[in-house]
Amino acid sequence: MAETEAPLVEMRNIQKYYGRVHALRDVNLRIKRGEIVGLLGDNGAGKSTLIKVLSGAVPYTSGQIFINGQEVNLRSTNDAIAAGIETIYQDSALIPQLSIARNLFLGRELRKGPGFMDRLDLDRMNEVAASLLKRVGISKKIPPTTAIGSLSGGERQAVAIARAMYFDSDLIILDEPTNNLGVAETQGVLRFVREARDTGHSCIFIAHNIHHVFQVVDRMVVMRRGAVVADDLSPRTSSIQDVEDIITGEHAA
Amino acid sequence: MTEPSPTLAPPEHASGAGFTRTLINKPEVGPLVLLVVMLVVFTAINPAFISITNIGNALTFTVELGLIALAMTLLMTAGEFDLSVGSVFGFAPVVMWTLFNEAALPLSVAFLVAILVALLIGLINGLFVTRMRIPSFLVTLGMLLVVRGTALWLTDGFPQRTWKADDQWLSGVLVGEFHVGSLRLYMSLIWFILLAVMFHYILTRTRFGNWIQATGGNPIAARNRGVPTGRVKTILFMLSAAMAAFAGIISSIRVSAANPNSGTGYELEVIAMVVIGGTALAGGRGTIIGTVLGVLILRLMRNGIVLIGVPGLAYNIFIGAIILGMMALHAALERRHNAGD
Ligand SMILES: Nc1ncnc2c1ncn2[C@@H]1O[C@H](COP(=O)(O)OP(=O)(O)OP(=O)(O)O)[C@@H](O)[C@H]1O
Ligand SMILES: [Mg+2]
Repeated sequence: MAETEAPLVEMRNIQKYYGRVHALRDVNLRIKRGEIVGLLGDNGAGKSTLIKVLSGAVPYTSGQIFINGQEVNLRSTNDAIAAGIETIYQDSALIPQLSIARNLFLGRELRKGPGFMDRLDLDRMNEVAASLLKRVGISKKIPPTTAIGSLSGGERQAVAIARAMYFDSDLIILDEPTNNLGVAETQGVLRFVREARDTGHSCIFIAHNIHHVFQVVDRMVVMRRGAVVADDLSPRTSSIQDVEDIITGEHAA
Repeated sequence: MTEPSPTLAPPEHASGAGFTRTLINKPEVGPLVLLVVMLVVFTAINPAFISITNIGNALTFTVELGLIALAMTLLMTAGEFDLSVGSVFGFAPVVMWTLFNEAALPLSVAFLVAILVALLIGLINGLFVTRMRIPSFLVTLGMLLVVRGTALWLTDGFPQRTWKADDQWLSGVLVGEFHVGSLRLYMSLIWFILLAVMFHYILTRTRFGNWIQATGGNPIAARNRGVPTGRVKTILFMLSAAMAAFAGIISSIRVSAANPNSGTGYELEVIAMVVIGGTALAGGRGTIIGTVLGVLILRLMRNGIVLIGVPGLAYNIFIGAIILGMMALHAALERRHNAGD
């Protein structure tokens, strides 16, 4: 519809080789503002590689990336963060030894006093963290000074998502956020994703559980052996069976 | 598939088992208890232990290893360690006194050059570890041999004269004597206290401290958040070498000799002090307060067992036992800590 407006993110003809492994084959991907896109595919299809390219974590061999219509050169995760792309990995997003507040602000700490003192504004960081925790619904008795190591998987995920929301990232990428989560925690994560959309963030949601994907996404993109094989599947018009067939490549089309 | 139910109550808030919780959250408590027990036991057996002269002496020696331990704490919190500190401790004074005696440089300039050389050594350690991804064990072991070898080669193995140090302002600033009542102390103690406070501030209150902990706690996540983990580690390797040089120079002025062999074996003693204090060898968690306690524990142990009549040669037995005991305690606490999630 709003085709006149440039998409939030556009990846064009992305190729990625890991040595001789051709992990991404001429991938094209567009994400609109406020859109939640499910990225599906079997193990080794290239999903993680694609989002690592988009988050600046691995260099790509060739291709172009546009953000808000501007071509960007993402050479590091810092570049991607600065461009408004926040990536949340299930296992490696947080520092277990640090408190919730210190994790939320890691890399973009609030400071006070003269610059050479390099002093953290811990009071304000804790304050902001407490209000964020309330927003993502895990404020119950968990103060922002709690170490991440003593949180459950779902709570950690919530903290990581809260971080992306606070820093107003335009695009939040979640790589298998519901892996290893219990029922209640999974529901929590799905709720955060919906809330992120309601507050105007776009989202890429990777999960092997198609039921989870169907519950939150606007559109699904399927990858197989490094290539995008479908990018316009809607949970309203496709059935789970259809999508599974495309993932495994069992239907001929 | 079985997912532990969300039995979530963070340690700070659950009531009961209060002491264990305190021990988990404050790794300094274990070493503090040990230190107090040691003081009580040694004093009970030989009251001279708590005498003014003895405390003054113990503190003097404490400081030199302590300075290295402070920097090692930050480095280990970032997930690396440095085996070359003992050799830098011996090498830096050799550089300084050789320049002073033979090149006739002012002592302050020779001092600066020695510190710069140490920074360079730390930089090389840091670059090997962070750029070439070689484990710090191997890099700093190699550096230990290179630096010690250079010190021996430069001096032909003979100690350097330092006898002209007395009339130098620098030696006054670094190790000048002063008295508090009848307690004789050296300026180096002041330096140690100042630096301990500063390092504690850096680790707990600054952004750089946050980065140190993140670098050791989960390097991949830290890098993903834009923390320059390589730079953090390299800076800390440089800091560690500079502190070792500083300590070595202080020691050489105090004993009036720059022996190319001095500092041999210090690296292990320093690492022992740091881990006894509660800093995790694997990184992520570090405490300067704990390190200060660890430094005091090892030094007073060395001093105390002699005073109570245990042969000095048995010292290592006690140190080893303390290390094993404290590690068992920290490991047990860590396990209980993690069992909660
Ligand atoms: N660092 C790497 N070096 C070499 N090959 C890699 C590397 N990372 C991924 N690959 C290869 O690239 C391909 C795509 O991997 P990727 O991790 O992107 O898959 P995925 O779709 O995320 O799979 P999964 O669902 O299992 O997470 C695989 O063949 C994998 O073996
Ligand atoms: Mg993956």
